[in-house]
Amino acid sequence: MRKNIIFIFIIFACFSQISCKKILDLVSPNEVGGNTVFTNVAGLRSARIGMYNTLQDRNYYGGYFPLIAECYTDDGTTGGYDVIDLNEIAYRAVSPANIYITQSYNAIYNTVYTANKIINNIDQVPGLVKVEHDNTLAEALFVRALADFDLLRFWGQHWDRSSTYGISIVNNTDAPAQPVARSTVEQSYQQIIGDLMQAATLFNNYQGNQYASLSAAKALLARVYLYHGDMAQAVLMATDVISDHTFKLFGVADFPKIYIDKLTAESVFELVFDPQNTSAYNAATYLRGNALRSDVLFIANTNLHTFFESRPADKRSLLVDFIHNDVSIEPDGRTQKYRGETTKDNSAYVIRLAEIYLIRAEAKGRTAGLTDLNTIRTSRGMTALTAADVPDDAAYLNAVLDERRAELNFEGHRLFDLARTGKVEAVLGSGIQPIMPIPQREIDGTGGVVKQNPGY
Amino acid sequence: MKSKCLWRISLLMVNILFLHAAFGQSALVLKGKVTGKNNTPLAGVTVLVKEKTNEATQTDADGMFTLRVSGSSGTLVFSSVGYTNKEMPFNAAAVSFSVQLDESVSVLNDIVLTGYIKQKKSDITGAISSIRNKDFKDQPVLNIAQSIQGKIAGILVTSPSGTPGAGLLVSVRGANNPLYVVDGVPMTSESNSSLSTSYNTDGEVQGSGQNVSSISDINPDDIESIEVLKDASSASIYGARAANGVVLVTTKRGKNGKTDFSFNSFTGIQNVARKIPFLNSDGFVALEEDARAQDLKLYQQDPSQFPAGFDPALLTNPLPPSWHTGVNTNWLDEIFHTAPIHNLQLSARGGNDKTKFFIAGNYFDQTGIVIENFYKRGTFRMNLDNKVSNRVSIGASTSFTYSRNRRSFNDDTYTGVVTNAIGASPLEPVYSKSGNYSNYASYQASWLSDNPVKSAKDIIAFTTSYRFIGTVFVDVDVMKNLKFRSSFSTDYTNLTDDQFFDPITTDGQSVGGKAIKGLFRNTTWLNENTLTYQNTFAGKNHLTALGGFTVQSSRTNTSQIHAQGFPEGSGLQNIGSASTITSAADLNTGWGIVSLIGRANYDYDGKYLFSASARYDGSSRFDPSGRWGLFPAASAGWVLTKEKFLSSSKWLTSLKLRVSYGLSGDNEIGDFQYLSYWVPARYDGLAGLRPRNIGNSDLTWQRNKMFNIGTDYEILNGKISGSIEYFRGNRTKLLAEAVLPATSGFSSITINSGNIQNTGVEFSVSAYPIKKQNFTWTTSFNISYLKDKILSLYSNNELLSTYADLFPSHILQVGQPVGTFWGIKFLGIDPQTGNPTFDDLNKDGVIDNNDQQVLGKATPDYFGGWTNDFKYKNWDASIATQFSVGNKVYNLIKGTYMTLGWSDQGWDANNVLYQVYANNATLVNRRWEKPGDQTDIPRASLVFQNYIENSSQFIEDGSFFRIRTVNVGYTYRPKTSKVFTSLRLYAQVQNLHVFTKYYGFDPEVSSNGGDSPQTAGVDYAAYPQARTFTFGVNFNF
Repeated sequence: MRKNIIFIFIIFACFSQISCKKILDLVSPNEVGGNTVFTNVAGLRSARIGMYNTLQDRNYYGGYFPLIAECYTDDGTTGGYDVIDLNEIAYRAVSPANIYITQSYNAIYNTVYTANKIINNIDQVPGLVKVEHDNTLAEALFVRALADFDLLRFWGQHWDRSSTYGISIVNNTDAPAQPVARSTVEQSYQQIIGDLMQAATLFNNYQGNQYASLSAAKALLARVYLYHGDMAQAVLMATDVISDHTFKLFGVADFPKIYIDKLTAESVFELVFDPQNTSAYNAATYLRGNALRSDVLFIANTNLHTFFESRPADKRSLLVDFIHNDVSIEPDGRTQKYRGETTKDNSAYVIRLAEIYLIRAEAKGRTAGLTDLNTIRTSRGMTALTAADVPDDAAYLNAVLDERRAELNFEGHRLFDLARTGKVEAVLGSGIQPIMPIPQREIDGTGGVVKQNPGY
Repeated sequence: MKSKCLWRISLLMVNILFLHAAFGQSALVLKGKVTGKNNTPLAGVTVLVKEKTNEATQTDADGMFTLRVSGSSGTLVFSSVGYTNKEMPFNAAAVSFSVQLDESVSVLNDIVLTGYIKQKKSDITGAISSIRNKDFKDQPVLNIAQSIQGKIAGILVTSPSGTPGAGLLVSVRGANNPLYVVDGVPMTSESNSSLSTSYNTDGEVQGSGQNVSSISDINPDDIESIEVLKDASSASIYGARAANGVVLVTTKRGKNGKTDFSFNSFTGIQNVARKIPFLNSDGFVALEEDARAQDLKLYQQDPSQFPAGFDPALLTNPLPPSWHTGVNTNWLDEIFHTAPIHNLQLSARGGNDKTKFFIAGNYFDQTGIVIENFYKRGTFRMNLDNKVSNRVSIGASTSFTYSRNRRSFNDDTYTGVVTNAIGASPLEPVYSKSGNYSNYASYQASWLSDNPVKSAKDIIAFTTSYRFIGTVFVDVDVMKNLKFRSSFSTDYTNLTDDQFFDPITTDGQSVGGKAIKGLFRNTTWLNENTLTYQNTFAGKNHLTALGGFTVQSSRTNTSQIHAQGFPEGSGLQNIGSASTITSAADLNTGWGIVSLIGRANYDYDGKYLFSASARYDGSSRFDPSGRWGLFPAASAGWVLTKEKFLSSSKWLTSLKLRVSYGLSGDNEIGDFQYLSYWVPARYDGLAGLRPRNIGNSDLTWQRNKMFNIGTDYEILNGKISGSIEYFRGNRTKLLAEAVLPATSGFSSITINSGNIQNTGVEFSVSAYPIKKQNFTWTTSFNISYLKDKILSLYSNNELLSTYADLFPSHILQVGQPVGTFWGIKFLGIDPQTGNPTFDDLNKDGVIDNNDQQVLGKATPDYFGGWTNDFKYKNWDASIATQFSVGNKVYNLIKGTYMTLGWSDQGWDANNVLYQVYANNATLVNRRWEKPGDQTDIPRASLVFQNYIENSSQFIEDGSFFRIRTVNVGYTYRPKTSKVFTSLRLYAQVQNLHVFTKYYGFDPEVSSNGGDSPQTAGVDYAAYPQARTFTFGVNFNF
């Protein structure tokens, strides 16, 4: 009896040792090792989906990136429970330690990293046919260019080609911890344009406007050229997009469906969310009917109210509500572009056709561009402007900027429009910086290799 | 390679088992009776032949023993814990004994568990503190760590919150989260609940909040003793998990003798120990009128200070009628209540020579002092020992725990029950006239996110847990002096979280109610095999050697489902009735650890003591190239009183000097951190993968090297005894999130870096100042000075926020301790203007974040406790106190209740004020009111925030002296009755009073939960500590 017991224990003890190696060689059952992703086509396809997912990060197109940019301008202001870092955005005095700015910066470079992984590894994926190779590579190049351009216009002196304050350009993932100094603004532009040009030659398949496409690449090029000041190129690209009949501009009656339906014909590139993969737009801008100022983070500025009051016919004024709000929000209001409190799956409208018309209107200039401007105006309930209404270039530019403000508010354009046209001080106040500080964390993390923007 | 190594050891053990050694023939049979005080028979006294440990027995229930011995003469040694050893010679003529043992106050002969082996206290060479059941029993506490609070030098136990079941911040010599080893099963005190208690209004997690501690599954009533292995040399036998100290918990086991039944129960009430006094509605209105009057005065002097377009009518317009309704709600009274607490424990303990048992059942029921929440726990334990033969014994330890915890929503953070109540307007009624909850948004405070009573009642969260811990073991005397032990253990946890936000709550409103369901399942198994060799050479050389191997493996599954949209008015809360599943997560994880252990203790005549140990650990958490690590330790002791020059000392009974040095590790770095992984990610209804991290194959153990010198002294045979320790530890290769350039794609990478030095002195003393027939007084006191200093860091000056969206409250800076506060320095109030003045550190004329500096630390300079026990005839009394000096508290929530009438733009277009930020505590009554006032509270102001939140205006001295327990009891022992042996009735107050200057609920606080030393010492309306009055009974029969 006694011996039996001993033997049973001993045998168990011995068996348990056989599995020593099994006990120590554990791999995560929930994740995939980084070195196995690009070993087959299925892995590449998963990475492509994951790349779009990185764009949806809350701190990027998941909501905060466009909304922070908006609420730094006269379109918006911030709420929250007296959160210092949010207040800094509303006061237009952002410190380099600001957590929202830091997180956006990190999120955008995470997208760059993921796109780079695809760009760097796609040639090694066995069994990949050329058609899929080219289209996927084009998508990755587009996404990298989009991210680089967002970095440039939020943190770089994008209005000044001669500036040395461009972005840190990262094109591979070999030495991630290596600090990367900032390139000049011109180098940054050439990087972005180069990626988009290459992408444009590679696209071979339109998969819907929730994916990058040839037209999306051209649309983004039109935007980049406009910022860069290459008006002729901007017109060319915009025209290509406008003549792509996949996309069409809605009229007065139905344009609000852009914000109700998903992936409408007005979207050239739109990121879709679903109730299981929600965006931050609704919670951050509306939340619920009786939300308090402290409950929502990004609020429509009363200044936008004044702006729309001067345009009584403009149907887009219905997309911002200054009446049905809690008294704590007044006199400010809330945008109505991101409703849907139950599903919270509001899209990110990255590039819309209306913007392309406005780019072309601006790029063509006062005489030739007025038609495009009026196309937008009349499809939103406004009357067409005559040449007499815009007697000089300055008046015309103001008309375009007003139109952009009316059309694109709370989609993250206003700050960049003011910055590239040199109107930040005039509109937002003297001493207001047109771009964000490079996060202090980045300056510390690179040992000062990355230089802070002037004025911070 | 390694497994081959282990194979050899197991083969060796098998071989040894077959080497049976022959026993000698008995020559004499010795018999006798052992008695104690008043000639009562003593059971369980060990009787052995000196220097022949295998010839031993124990006395039975009547104190009788019979022992066959091999020699024809020798010396019998009688020993029992709590009694002085007695030696009696025997020979053929003297075979019958009647022995009376004297009670001893000396602890030198106490047996102390030191990790895989037991040693006499007098032989210990490391820094080990030990505490017995009698020192912590009857306290109305749930968690073993709480029961030792203030009782052990060097151990700082902080109750971060009064939440029933809350985790505790346990720091052993400055290192947090020790390893617990319960009856040989290593475990950590982690929170397995996935319910965060710190959401923002979007439902996102903002901070860790209060966790629930898994070590609460161990019932303190079942515990016989607790040993804390404090220095690295003692702890390093637990190798890669011992860097933060080791707490060995031993539960009660059966004993030889008649079955003792014990019924212990207490019942009582709890209430909030200290409440923050708030302004009533008159005071609230008066503060506002003063704020307006002060601003008006300022406006008349200098309107340029006011924002452009400011209309002074705001300062003169009458307050709206809603400010004069006469409603006066004391919100703290609405959410706090006097709550009952009960505990029932029934146990039986007994056995005979062959089989011994301890069985116990316990029910603990604590209602929280915040309405609605509670913690209930049922535990069952059965510990068995059976002697199969002279050489083989087997046994088992099993425990089963069920607990159900109704959680307090957003405990310790904004939007929580307490936090909302702290800011709420006294003019707001709890219920409106219609009988519904009043709508918090239409009253005078903008701080709230919901009606506090509604949050408490209609956000329903439960954490339910089942835990089974079981061990079976066999002990074999393989041959003379050689023992083999093998044990198998399993530790199984099944925990469920359910949270439901009713559609009427702010959080659930827009989505028709929402719910979270979380599941956690963990199975850990452990196999340990040890061989112990014990022998005495040449009479005076004692050697104990131990070798063994252990394997532990753990698998965890966690899943969580979020859903929203519940059938209106149905009352349904189960996740299946929701219209939409908004997210589902399911994660599997696990780890394994394989270890070889070795240890040798040698002493010469109990005078020169040496000990060496080593553990060789392989952990699955590290890259295969560096997963094995060696953790050695050595220590030595010298008992001076055994030397000639001191042995004659009349008063100094024992004096031992000890020195030790050891290395221990910490592998709690999370599973699978060393690899680069891609994680599931979705887009457009498709599943994909995105990169999660940049792996670091160099990740390794955090290390703790510690040098310790100590002395154990005993004066006048134990009338005074204690220890003094000095230690210096270096914790290196600390896990750090190194800042990566964002261009890497990630913000940080997990690395080993940094070095923290802990230095300290611990002093403890126990004494029996009076020990008479009818009256005894026992006192024990301990004090620890502890200094931790960061020597190096990967990224110096890293700022840390307690909550993700709040300003940084702490800094990690070389030269400073962990938990250092950071902010702007407050200098005082300008007596002329009533405005606060701050230190303009960079002298640029502006007070801003560039003027931030170190503002103190959360850890105390010194801390300790003082306990006194009195016995007079049948009466007994004890009083336990605890103190902490030099720690600061960042009273973040004070920024809500010291707003001095400020309104966050709470006026309408007609310049009528409808809302201010929050109600204030009565401390604002001593604010500055007119030039010349000397005070530390600024002028009231409606328009200006006349304070800076991240400044030392809100950092307070958290030193305290706490009367932790006061207990008075009466024991009745019937002289003849056979019905029961003793009955003790007692009354107790827990947390009677705290002497402190701190203004908040309690200076012992850490809103960020039980495991975050870096952001410790923040008070964000932490759940207050209760004062508990209990009546109890200990009934033995």
